[in-house]
Amino acid sequence: MQETTQRSPLTAAITIVTLLFLVVPLAIVVLFSFNDTASLSFPFSGPSLRWYRDVFSSFEFREATTNSFYIALTVSALALLLGTLAAYGLSRSASRRRGLLGLLFFLPITLPGLFIGSALLLFFSRLEVGLSLFTVGIGHFLFVFPYFLLIAGAAFSRLDPALEEAAADLGASPWLVFRRVTLPQIWPILVGATSLAFALSFDEFVITFFVAGSDSTLPLFIWSSMRRTIDPSINAISTLLMAVTLVLFALGFLLTLRNQRRSGYADEAAFIGEER
Amino acid sequence: MPTESGGLQLEAVSHRYGRELALEGVSLDIHAGELLTLLGPSGCGKTTLLRIIAGFIRPTEGRVLLEGQDITGVPPHRRPVNTVFQRPTLFPHLDIFENIAFGLRIARLPKDEIKTRVTEALVLVRLENFAGRRSHELSGGQMQRVSLARALVNRPRVLLLDEPMSALDMKIRLEMEVELRRVHRETGAAFVYVTHDQREGLALSDRIVVLNEGRVEAIGTPADVYAAPASPFVARFVGDANVIPVEVIALNGESATVKLGGVTMATPARQVPDRGPGWLVVRPEAVRLSAATATSETPLAGTVRDLAFRGSSFSYRIEVPALDEVFKVEQPAELGPPHELGSEVVVNWDAASCSLLPRSQA
Repeated sequence: MQETTQRSPLTAAITIVTLLFLVVPLAIVVLFSFNDTASLSFPFSGPSLRWYRDVFSSFEFREATTNSFYIALTVSALALLLGTLAAYGLSRSASRRRGLLGLLFFLPITLPGLFIGSALLLFFSRLEVGLSLFTVGIGHFLFVFPYFLLIAGAAFSRLDPALEEAAADLGASPWLVFRRVTLPQIWPILVGATSLAFALSFDEFVITFFVAGSDSTLPLFIWSSMRRTIDPSINAISTLLMAVTLVLFALGFLLTLRNQRRSGYADEAAFIGEER
Repeated sequence: MPTESGGLQLEAVSHRYGRELALEGVSLDIHAGELLTLLGPSGCGKTTLLRIIAGFIRPTEGRVLLEGQDITGVPPHRRPVNTVFQRPTLFPHLDIFENIAFGLRIARLPKDEIKTRVTEALVLVRLENFAGRRSHELSGGQMQRVSLARALVNRPRVLLLDEPMSALDMKIRLEMEVELRRVHRETGAAFVYVTHDQREGLALSDRIVVLNEGRVEAIGTPADVYAAPASPFVARFVGDANVIPVEVIALNGESATVKLGGVTMATPARQVPDRGPGWLVVRPEAVRLSAATATSETPLAGTVRDLAFRGSSFSYRIEVPALDEVFKVEQPAELGPPHELGSEVVVNWDAASCSLLPRSQA
């Protein structure tokens, strides 16, 4: 489907201005992370990696980064496992139950992080659970799971159940149907959704702030070092954080796109109503 | 690819979706190696019946037997039965070769054998050069041929076909029919073919089963079911028919005297047990038309209301006021130029080619 639309110069101008507004601050951060001097203003004095060296020699930075990776990995792996099961189950269940369960699963997406964070803080203190990376993990999972489910659920519901029936008819047990027919069609989307879950967890701040206790994650480290001084090494850290997130988002996006292109035939085949 | 075949029996199979009765007491004996068509209008339960045989639906009542073994509760993946579905269900992530090999890989056959059998199957459906293609590169007819190969490569005892050609256009359908008859002869498996298209059913099958509202209305060879329909429904559904209300006034062994309009005539009677109201089934091609003359004063006179040229024949609709009927008539084109629209004609038919049915059903 190709459409040709008349674009007014105004639309183009607004688009450019909006993009600049979004990108310029990020570009400045990246630029100054390579600046040789400590000043955070122009002129730019020359390329250098000294802030990156500074950052990597800091024990606190390394600990916070390790924690962030550790939590993001665990949370995204859990989201992959439970989210895939939930999405598969929801896509195969009766529509009424699907509606109600889906609503419950997606509820956290609609709540502000501030609310989730404070609610979790109250909840954990009531249960007398000490705040640690464990509670951060729980908070992140709560935050990340609906996003995973949203993407995976859409992928499962686009699958043609007739293909699974055909596989069963050809002798495949339910497990083999899932492994040989369902999974090969949607794994790129699952990987994409998992990397999105990783990225979301990796730079989550608000909920983490409430439930981290004395432990630190990368976003918390950035925030606390900025409270002390405005140090150019913040630019280096932010650039690194941005790089990790961008790579993961790009991976997720590309895989989703690739999968959509490949499944083009399913739409063509869906032109006939089926008699029961 | 010779296939070892065995019979499949359905014993008093009934099925309900909630309160809705989809099948009622269907008993059927599918012979080894035959091509049997389940024919009926949409909603008659034919697809339900097929899905019961495939194992996707467990019937509410009754049993399914394969070579004498009860398989009613056996899940689809453990039945030696394969299906060609209504629309192509090729796996988009596999190429054509791997699509066809799917069942053999699940069965963990040796690699060489898989290669040989898939190649044979590709030859069987005349798609030798398509092994490396993806499903979206194929036309609808080619996809259904791959589906056929993918099912047959497993050498099923029974192959189920659920209106596999309904999405194809007429020209390809006719070609596919020829292919399907050839493949059936070459494999020797029992084929159960579901369709609502009576032309397809008549053309393809050794036997047809006519289903209506979840019940079997007729079983027999296409010629038998056509020549001696078991009910007015079968008469109207299999082929075209004029179903005329008559009064049976006398029975005499194999023949009966019936009254319609003001006319009495003799007609063969196979299924009428008693005098009283009945239906006379007259096939359109059994009707003869002749031009009405000034002197002919028969109640079977009518007016040509519609006329269509069908290539080898003319197809008419004749309004006969005395019988309160509109007759469907097929006349071979070689009988000469057609009777014109609006002209007066006399309707006649060969009594021997009619069927008389009791009027217990509509």
